[in-house]
Amino acid sequence: MTRKTRRAPRDPVLRQPSAMTAVAILAIIVFLAIFGSALAPQSPLAIDAGALYKGPSLHHLLGTDYLGRDVLSRLMAGTRLSVLTAFEAVGIGLVIGAPLGVATVFLGRAFDFTANRVADALMTLPSIFFAVAVTAALGNGLVQAMFPVGILLVPVFFRVTRAATLEFSRAQYVEAAELLGGSKLHVIRVHVLRKVMPTMAVTTAQAAAGALLAVSFLTFLGIGVQPPTPTWGGVLSSDLDYLNLAPWAPFIPGALIAITVGALNALADAYRDRAGAGELRSPVTDPVIKTHSTLQPLEAADDRQPAA
Amino acid sequence: MAVAELRAAGGALAAPRRRRTRAAASRIGGGLAVLIPILVLSSFITYSLGALSNSNPAATILGQDAATPAAVAHLDQVLGLDKPLIVQYWDWLSQAVRGNLGVSYFTQIPVSQSIAQRLPVDLSIAIGAVILAVLIGGTAGTVAAIRRGGWIDRGVTLACSAVSTLPAFVVGIILVVVFAVGARWLPANGYVGPTAGVGPWLAHIILPSLALALPVAADVARQLRTSLVSVLEQNYITGARVRGLPNRRILIRHGLRNAAGPALTILGNDFPIMLAGAVAAEAVFSLPGLGQLLLEAAQTRDIPVVQGVLLVVSAFVIVINLVVNMALSLLYRSADGVSV
Repeated sequence: MTRKTRRAPRDPVLRQPSAMTAVAILAIIVFLAIFGSALAPQSPLAIDAGALYKGPSLHHLLGTDYLGRDVLSRLMAGTRLSVLTAFEAVGIGLVIGAPLGVATVFLGRAFDFTANRVADALMTLPSIFFAVAVTAALGNGLVQAMFPVGILLVPVFFRVTRAATLEFSRAQYVEAAELLGGSKLHVIRVHVLRKVMPTMAVTTAQAAAGALLAVSFLTFLGIGVQPPTPTWGGVLSSDLDYLNLAPWAPFIPGALIAITVGALNALADAYRDRAGAGELRSPVTDPVIKTHSTLQPLEAADDRQPAA
Repeated sequence: MAVAELRAAGGALAAPRRRRTRAAASRIGGGLAVLIPILVLSSFITYSLGALSNSNPAATILGQDAATPAAVAHLDQVLGLDKPLIVQYWDWLSQAVRGNLGVSYFTQIPVSQSIAQRLPVDLSIAIGAVILAVLIGGTAGTVAAIRRGGWIDRGVTLACSAVSTLPAFVVGIILVVVFAVGARWLPANGYVGPTAGVGPWLAHIILPSLALALPVAADVARQLRTSLVSVLEQNYITGARVRGLPNRRILIRHGLRNAAGPALTILGNDFPIMLAGAVAAEAVFSLPGLGQLLLEAAQTRDIPVVQGVLLVVSAFVIVINLVVNMALSLLYRSADGVSV
């Protein structure tokens, strides 16, 4: 494949309306993560005892909370922490998991077996429980809490990359490239990695959605942040205590979380649809423990997955 | 997928029953052989987490005034914290296998007792959630597949995408607002054990179960729709129709039975997600479950409780996965299991 064909003038995936909407939403979220606290119309911490539980108005576009704080400002100021820690988790998963997934195909059976068993063991640890447990051990902070979430994303990236690499490394053109005298590293880089990339893009988007949910949920539980600091989940959890007074309030942070996660999922779907059914493996359909995987040769252990 | 189904069907016809049973047994045995190392590895991760923490349990227990270096060293010896990590781990694991997970640093209540007290809450809502997910997801997926392309199919697809985007705790809050705060049909929070009456118990677990079940039901419905659509296009379905079998029998015996595998796998894989959801449901509905126990223990750095809860939860995940795999291999009775 030449460089010319790879660099299309514009990514055809982004021409789909759903993908365009998703990218626009994500751009706004990233913008808020960078400039949110500077652009917030009011101080996210300013208490106004005269305006508790107010609905949306011109002065408070998204209303006020139980201390009269401006909800819009709190959500804008809370974006950075949520997005950065979600990036942290996805970054850890991608940087450790993906290279391991590629390497394991070429490093022999023993390495592959060990890596797979460790991945199996990691996948049995439920991420939220593990994250809470790690904050007990390492101290209460969102950065500490998202570290284990990243570690638990490692097996997800590892498996998806391994499966895709395994599939493409058996292709005839890879054999041909090797016969033509290409060095192993060259063949992996040019003929295998490039094919694995779309799979990685889908997994990254899905993992980002999962990480963002985990951040919101951890902050909702009150893990990792001190109370006045604004976070998406924190706003949601404080609204929950006053449902009788303001039953509509939790829908605002809830919708913000759902829209962001939905945008990431829509982007992942758009990439998957372009690649076609069967071309990409979704980590969801990959059994957590393959009880038969060690009893069969390496090749047979990975059956094709149907498109979800 | 289609090829795999045909291969499974062909294998079932060709192979004698005894050989199939033996294949299923070896699959289960192989599963157990893989299970033990995984359990050991994940329990080691769990244990070293607490042991590697920078907390100093002896000093915490003794309090600031009494924590002289000598007293701390003595208590470390009593608690076994001065031994090498691997020895500590072995002591802990060999006790844990016998049901002794140690005692809380602060309350001196045995960890297994606290867990046994909290577990029924989570089991109630988790089992309720599985039943609801199968009922809702199974019905929606089947109807969508039969009426493929119709408005029901489009509605189910749309609802599934919407629900699976919403995290369990947001679904829970919506349910509370609609059914407890708005309509006042059901209690908004709290838990009542089944000993206090089945009615109140069901009333308290139905909303948390539903909150947990909806995202899983969406996954199940989508997966079931996809595989049922492809199964219903198979030649053997046409063959069954030609032979004049009633539609209901074709759908259940020939369609659903062959299409259920991927959906069941999804259900098994979603179990860890359901556990996370159970923590969410506990928080939203103020239920005294394992998640709350873990949160309290994490705040006070009560390491034995944290380790115990994590061990029990991961053991559950591992066993559930094995059970799902066994159920699949028995259901399909094919040597290579089901290719999902």
